[in-house]
Amino acid sequence: MTILSNPAEFVSSVKRPADIDAFWEDVLAQTARIPLQIDVSHDPLRSSPQVDVYQVHYTSLDHVRIAGWYARPANHAGQLPGLLVVPGYSMEPLIPKNWAARGYAAFSVAPRGKLRSNGQFNPGYPGLLTHGIVDRNTYTYRGFYMDSCRGVDFLLSRDEVDADRLGVTGHSQGGGLSVVVAALRPEIKVATSGAPFLCGFMDAIDLTDGYPYQEIADYLRLHPDSRQQVTDTVAYFDGISLAPRVTCPIIVNIGLQDSTCPPETGYALFRAIGSEDKQLHDYDGYGHDANNAVHTGIIEAFLAQHLEP
Amino acid sequence: MSTPSDTKPLDFDAYWQDTLSQLARLPAAPEVEEIPLRSTDFATAYGVQLTSIGPYRIFGYLSIPTGEGPFPARYFLPRYGSVADLVPQGTSNGQRQRYVTFAICARGQRRSDRPYSAGFPGQLTDGIDDPSGYIYRGIVADCCRGLEFLVSRPEVNPQRVAAIGTDMALVTAALCPRVTHLVYTPVIFFQALERAAATQAYPLEELNDYLRQRPEQRDQVSQTLAYYDASHFAPMVGARTLLMAEAGSSPLGPAAMEPVTRSIRGSTDVHESENSGYRDGAYSELWLSRELGVPEASLPPHWR
Repeated sequence: MTILSNPAEFVSSVKRPADIDAFWEDVLAQTARIPLQIDVSHDPLRSSPQVDVYQVHYTSLDHVRIAGWYARPANHAGQLPGLLVVPGYSMEPLIPKNWAARGYAAFSVAPRGKLRSNGQFNPGYPGLLTHGIVDRNTYTYRGFYMDSCRGVDFLLSRDEVDADRLGVTGHSQGGGLSVVVAALRPEIKVATSGAPFLCGFMDAIDLTDGYPYQEIADYLRLHPDSRQQVTDTVAYFDGISLAPRVTCPIIVNIGLQDSTCPPETGYALFRAIGSEDKQLHDYDGYGHDANNAVHTGIIEAFLAQHLEP
Repeated sequence: MSTPSDTKPLDFDAYWQDTLSQLARLPAAPEVEEIPLRSTDFATAYGVQLTSIGPYRIFGYLSIPTGEGPFPARYFLPRYGSVADLVPQGTSNGQRQRYVTFAICARGQRRSDRPYSAGFPGQLTDGIDDPSGYIYRGIVADCCRGLEFLVSRPEVNPQRVAAIGTDMALVTAALCPRVTHLVYTPVIFFQALERAAATQAYPLEELNDYLRQRPEQRDQVSQTLAYYDASHFAPMVGARTLLMAEAGSSPLGPAAMEPVTRSIRGSTDVHESENSGYRDGAYSELWLSRELGVPEASLPPHWR
């Protein structure tokens, strides 16, 4: 595929499945029937005088136990805004002390397959992106998305969290997951998405030659007959397919020289987002960092504006 | 009274010589098996298992270009985290067309996590009270074992072997003279304890967490970290070097890293970060291809 001189003009090949809403409503309903069984334990090693840190576990789809880090200000009065922090593909979920120090009750989830959530399910890296990819009912990300969405349920279970002030933030895979969670959980009031992965899967394997999308190219090289099945499956999981469901305020930042999550897919995602209040920050001269050195301040201000920590 | 973590221990050389001697006494016993899923028409991928000190079995991803060698080699050293990729995320898979690549998964990382599965956070302080039992001693040995394996391959041009990565790249280049080129991005092991005091960001925050719980261990932690400080390894590096510094007045910026830069014996270039993965990545890629004598740089499509 030829790289366009203006990636904003790229037209994605993603076709939104006609029954995508029914598919996800069914998965959400299946998940809701499983008791959360939350376990929260204070972690004195990771806590500081300013921030209390807790190790959290809960049950998600397929009865997989999911881990996460919960951090909140050590001293606070009244309820706090809740912030769900969703992780990148190969990075470890961070302990969200920085958000807690800013006045948020912040939960950083480790969806299935991540360290601490890989006791029952562990396809590995590389590998997770293509695990079960020929069937939307078995694809890894069916559960992975639910694990992330259940982070909202965890935050809502906390007395100190204000249910009317919930946000989600992430970069790379976390940027894709932010869109997914905002699309599937209407309780989310604001979202930020950086260099979003999981958007334009089948476009990206032609636009880039790097991992993680290369995992799908590897898979199709070995299983060329599965291309249509793979295309059909990922259409249900593509952020571009889910974006019309997003109605909350959202900002997206992309780098125009991103070799991991190509900017073409970021533009396509942004156009598909249903929110009236949406902003795109497209940074020329930046790669997968999407100008985080500067944009982090914009994210902090945007979340503070909407969540009032 | 605590001493700075960059004060060189008197037995620094003996400590590392003993580590390398332990490694030398153990046969590597390599097992090499093709990974068809990651093989292409231009390169074949292999999974490699080797024995390191402990003894401990470690894993690595090897890729060999199709065609007549020998080829220059890129040795990817482990970053701080559980995942090691065949080639680093964000770089072009096309580099496998021109280079032998080898990525080692050090003990504790995925595929080298039996029986020891590291926590992130957690690994940085595992055994840090005692230099002889610190987890990084084994990790350094793993990195050196990987280098030995790589240069033993007949497909590799021994005049063009680049170690690429964060702290472990510098350490490997220091302890293994067969590294001819080094691309080093400092992250943890340079004045670590002093820099930790000024941050709440992981991985250095692990040191703060640890010492908050065990303040009486500060001297021991400082002494252990001194065996790993970049300033002590730098004079042992004879490779042609590119040091990827952070921007401006950062504690890992060009000025702060000057003691390391000055000490490296090999000719050294310093690149000050432009806070752009694209600009920094392209600079590093062009430097490597030029220095390794490969006419065409392996740039991802969006960097061309």
